[in-house]
Amino acid sequence: MALTGWKEKLYQRYLVWTCRPARIEKHLRSVLPGPGKHSPQASRRQIRAAALQLELKLFDSPIAFADEMHRRTREAVNEGAELIAFPEYNNLPLLGLLPGFDKMEEAYRNKGKDAEADQQEKGEEDISLNDLFRYMSPAVQPLINTIFSRLAAAYGVYIMAGSYTLADNGSVINRSFLFGSAGLLLGSQDKVHLLPVEEEWNLKRGGAFQVYETPLGKLALPVCMDATYYETFRILELRGADIVLLPIANLEEYNYWLALRGIWPRVQESQLYGIKSALVGSIAGMNFTGRAGIFASLEITPQRDGVLAEVESPAHEGMAVADIDLEALHDLRRNHPWRDSNPALYRRYFPEIYS
Amino acid sequence: MRVCVISMSGLRLNDADHYSSDLTDILKSSGAELAVLPAHSALMLGLAGGALEPASDFNSSFQQYIQSHRDWNNRFIDIHSRLACSNNIYLAAGTLVEKDAGAHYHSAYCFNPKGEICGSQRQTHLTWAEREIGLSRGEELNIFDVDGFQAGLVVGNDARHPEVGRIFALRGAGLLLCSGALEAGLNCWPQAAGMWSQVQQNQFWALEAQLSGTISGRTFGASSAVIGPCEITPGQSGYLNRGYPHTSMVTADLDEEARQKIKEDYPLLKLLNTEAYSDLKML
Repeated sequence: MALTGWKEKLYQRYLVWTCRPARIEKHLRSVLPGPGKHSPQASRRQIRAAALQLELKLFDSPIAFADEMHRRTREAVNEGAELIAFPEYNNLPLLGLLPGFDKMEEAYRNKGKDAEADQQEKGEEDISLNDLFRYMSPAVQPLINTIFSRLAAAYGVYIMAGSYTLADNGSVINRSFLFGSAGLLLGSQDKVHLLPVEEEWNLKRGGAFQVYETPLGKLALPVCMDATYYETFRILELRGADIVLLPIANLEEYNYWLALRGIWPRVQESQLYGIKSALVGSIAGMNFTGRAGIFASLEITPQRDGVLAEVESPAHEGMAVADIDLEALHDLRRNHPWRDSNPALYRRYFPEIYS
Repeated sequence: MRVCVISMSGLRLNDADHYSSDLTDILKSSGAELAVLPAHSALMLGLAGGALEPASDFNSSFQQYIQSHRDWNNRFIDIHSRLACSNNIYLAAGTLVEKDAGAHYHSAYCFNPKGEICGSQRQTHLTWAEREIGLSRGEELNIFDVDGFQAGLVVGNDARHPEVGRIFALRGAGLLLCSGALEAGLNCWPQAAGMWSQVQQNQFWALEAQLSGTISGRTFGASSAVIGPCEITPGQSGYLNRGYPHTSMVTADLDEEARQKIKEDYPLLKLLNTEAYSDLKML
C-alpha cells in the first residue's frame, strides 16, 4: 500500500476537512426545504417507492456530490416517493476527489492490455482499489451520513443511501445504510456474499442479516450479490421483512436473462417486495449495467410478471416508481396457493449442507 | 448426453399398447439416452385407458385415484419399466400417487435401461390444494446415478421451493429431472420462478417436462424445457431448448464439460456464506 507517506496523510486530512459535516450541512441548509415542508403520511396500502438508477460520474467536490444526491432525491420526492433507494458502490463517484485519479483510472483501465505500459504505470497500479477505499473512508463516512441524514429529514422520507466500501476494524466492508424520515441513521447491512472480484480485493464479508422496523414496514437492505442466494431472502422473510431494498452495481454486459437472476426470483421464492437500485457506467476498467426496478410476487403485480416498475435503459440514469401495498402482501402470505414449508426436510439436511 | 422432455401431447392414451408404441416412436426419434415425462402421467393415462374411474372434476378424479391406485400403479410401473428396457434408455416416468403407512404421497420414479427402478422421489412441498386433497410431504431427497450423472427427481410444486434445489446441489446432484403440471395459462413467469431460477443459483442441469392435456376438465399446458446455467446456453437465456405448451418433445445435448467450467469460473456455491445462515440451521 502506497498511501502512507506524509503527502498522502496530509491530503487525507484535507479530504476529511473538505468533507466535514459542518460544511456540507451549511450548504444543504441553503438549498433544502425546511423540516416539515414535505411530510408524507405512510399508509400500509400505498407506500410509494422510488428505485434510482445513477450513472457513474466523478465528482471533484463533496458539495457537487451532495447536490447530485439532492437532485436525485428531489426527483423521487416530486414523484411522491416516501421510500427512496440509491445504488451499490455509491462511493465510486467520490474517487474524483483524489488528485490524479484520472491517471490512476487509466492505469486500471489498461491493466493487462500492454505489459510495457503496465510496467510504466506500476506506481499507480500498486495502489489497489481496496487501498483507496480505506484511505477515503474517514472522509466518506461522515460525508454520506451528513448528506443522507439531511436529505431524509428535509423531505420527510426514508432513504436507503446505497452501499459504500468503508474501512472497518482493519478491513474494508461493503455496507448499505438506511436513514429514517427524521434524519436518523436507522441501521446498516454489510454485504454477506461477495463477488469473486471483491474477494480478490480482500473485502470482508458480513456475517448476519438485519431487519429494521419502520412505519413503512419492516425493511432490509442486503447488497447486490446477496440476491444471488435464496438464503438471504428466506432469512429476511423469516425475520419478518416486508420490503427488501437491494443496491446493485452489476459488473457485466447487460443481458435480460443474466439480470433476471438476482432480486426477481428471490421475490418470487420469498413473499416480499423488492426494490433494486442500480449504478451504471464505467470506471477503472469496470463497466456496470443494470435496470433499477420494483418487484413483487407474480400474484400481486398487474401483468402477473413480478414487475411493478423498471427503468428502460440498462446504461443510463433513470428512476422506477411504484406503489407498495403491504396489506396485499400479507393477504397473499396468508392465502398463498403454492407456498409450503417442510421443517422435517430442512432439519434433515440443513445442518449437513450448511456446516 | 442427449436428453429429451415429453409433454404427453399427441400420444394415444386410450390404450397401453398405443401409448407404448407412440412413446417408443418419440424416444427413438429423439436419439435420447434419458427422457422425462410430466407430472400426473399415471392419472392421465389411467383415466384415458379406463383403468381409473373419471369423476366430475380434477380434484374428485384425483381423490378417486388416491383411493384405488394400487393395481393401476403396478401396471403403470410395469409399462414404463418395459419402455425403458426396450428403448435402452433412462426414463423418468412422471408421477403417481402411492400409499405408505397410511399416508399418500405424490411420487416420481426413474427407470434405468435394464428396466429397473433406479430412483424415486416423494414430493416434499405441497400446494394448498394438494394438502386439501390429503397428500403428505416426503422428507427425503434422493440422489441416484444416471449414466454417470448424480441425478435427482423434482416433483411438481417442489420446483418453486429453492430449498429443494439447494439441498440437491450441495449434496452433489448435477442433473435434476422435473415432472410438472401447470394449469394452462400465462406460465412463462411461474416457470422462470421455478426450475429456471433453481438452475441459475445452483448451476446444475434441469430437464423440465410439463404436462400438456386435459384431465377431468382441467387443462394443463406449460413449456417443457432443458435448462442450464445462462452462460452456457444460447443467448445466455438459460434454456438449451424450450417448446410451446403443445410441443410433444424437446431435446438437447448436455455439455457437461461446459457446465464444469462455468462452475470453476463462477463458483457460486463456493461463495455461500454459511456463517450467516444460523436462522435456517435452527428451523
